[in-house]
Amino acid sequence: MMSQVLFRPLTSADGMQPEWTDGKPTADVVAGFIKPNDRLTAFERLEIYNQQYWWRLLGVFQEDFQGLRSVLGVRKFDRLAIAYLQVHGSSTWSLRDLGQHLVSFLDTHPELTEPKSALASDMARVEWAKVIAFDGPALPLLDPQRIVRTPPDRLILRLQPYVTLLELRHPIDHMLKRLRENVRASARASNAMSGSRQGAPRLLTAKASRDPIYLAVHRRDFSVYYKRLEPEAYRLLVALRNASSLADACAIAFAHSKVPETEAAEKIRNWFQVWMQLGWLTR
Amino acid sequence: MSATRFTNQSDYGVGIGLRIPHYQHILERKPLVDWFEIISENYMVDAGRPLHVLDQILERYRVVQHGVSMYFGNAARPNRGHLKKLKALTKRTNTPWLSDHLCWGSVDGRYTHDLLPMPYTWEAVEFTARNIREVQDFVEVPVAVENVSSYAEFHASEMTEWEFLCEVVERADCGILLDVNNIYVSSQNHTFDPLDYVNAVPADRVAQIHIAGHTKYERFILDTHDHPVIDPVWKIYKRAIERCGRTATLLEWDDKIPSFEEVHREALKATRYLPQSERVKIEAAA
Repeated sequence: MMSQVLFRPLTSADGMQPEWTDGKPTADVVAGFIKPNDRLTAFERLEIYNQQYWWRLLGVFQEDFQGLRSVLGVRKFDRLAIAYLQVHGSSTWSLRDLGQHLVSFLDTHPELTEPKSALASDMARVEWAKVIAFDGPALPLLDPQRIVRTPPDRLILRLQPYVTLLELRHPIDHMLKRLRENVRASARASNAMSGSRQGAPRLLTAKASRDPIYLAVHRRDFSVYYKRLEPEAYRLLVALRNASSLADACAIAFAHSKVPETEAAEKIRNWFQVWMQLGWLTR
Repeated sequence: MSATRFTNQSDYGVGIGLRIPHYQHILERKPLVDWFEIISENYMVDAGRPLHVLDQILERYRVVQHGVSMYFGNAARPNRGHLKKLKALTKRTNTPWLSDHLCWGSVDGRYTHDLLPMPYTWEAVEFTARNIREVQDFVEVPVAVENVSSYAEFHASEMTEWEFLCEVVERADCGILLDVNNIYVSSQNHTFDPLDYVNAVPADRVAQIHIAGHTKYERFILDTHDHPVIDPVWKIYKRAIERCGRTATLLEWDDKIPSFEEVHREALKATRYLPQSERVKIEAAA
């Protein structure tokens, strides 16, 4: 019974809902199992836990999706957060995974982000990719000799699990850089202590790009980075992720490309050099 | 009490909680600190910066693990996936004991991430002790259970909180992490004498003590870990040390975190009450 009370969203005034699901006063329901004391009613005592639950989850959700909050604005973001968390409350011992269903939730609830649904979806995908890049698993690095020794049609390479490949319509990497600069600037302008729930952010917006933007979200030296990819490089990496052989992946990458064959080989060589340096390729 | 089976025979003095704002200071300046307490869940990850920092800390310092989401008081049994990750972390840290809370916090696979109070019933004693034993058997490290701050009490309770704690630890045969700030907070919220609590606790099972600050509101106190320790809490600590002797002591400061020096200075106030270790006494005599 206590958990049912805690999981119910707060009122607009951040209080516990006065009416229970069956129409009875919540105070009567709560008084059935919680004792009052000389200062607080049973309702008020449980309200402390109800508030702590929502404030904690909303605080973490807000921290993980600061960009999305800046796209939607505070009120719309809060409405989305409550709707999402009612359906997808935390299901593991770690709050790290709180946003794991957000991208699919946005796809099925465009009404919560209209008219910025496409931008919101792009932002959520990148911000979830950042969570994965921060502490996602890392596999042993690929031995470069293996590439040399194995014929391309039999060579299967894997991509590090912490690397996420995204096809976007909006320059989210630039937007998040702008957001970081805004946050730094406002931190310099104030000595105020920051609470768990931040104030209203400056709204971020961007026009949709005519051409897709291909982005890898990854980590290097324990920090999260974005790397823009050429279309062919993106297709090659996606093919590798889908377990294509190196030969097949290269064929897929340049299947509809205008890049001349002579340049393709050079490009592939350069890309692999960079990806090896970044530690993206694994056994 | 130091160096008992509940601390794996180890003797720890005053430590502080390892917190992100202090990472840089600790890694660059390498201050002298007896030990750090880590929140286990923050490092039960696959890779990345958290583990990288932890490994650097472990090169130089002793670390004790403290959990926040095992929920011994859940009616359901401990989560196997959680236990495996926890055990893997104990191998990495070599923690002499580990702790978590006497509370519940998840139901039907949905987590509150809060330390929720339990009805103090005989039924709850049984399943809570069962869960602690199961965790202790699995991780193969002594477990200490911590009393939580609470803001609500149940009609269903059949005993006091300290009677409940005593019954649970006896049946589970585990240690206690005695949080004297939590005792103070709950004593104010539920109107009991905090010394009654401390005096009832089996001193020989106390593996560790937590001290912390809190926030006082008009009609209740909230356990916020964002202030220095107040005198009434030091008074409870003093009594706990009188009963338990030298005990590993840890200051928790989790919000509005001041500089490393300030936090460490606050923690070291505990040495006013803490007897010296045998090793220090021998060194001083020599």
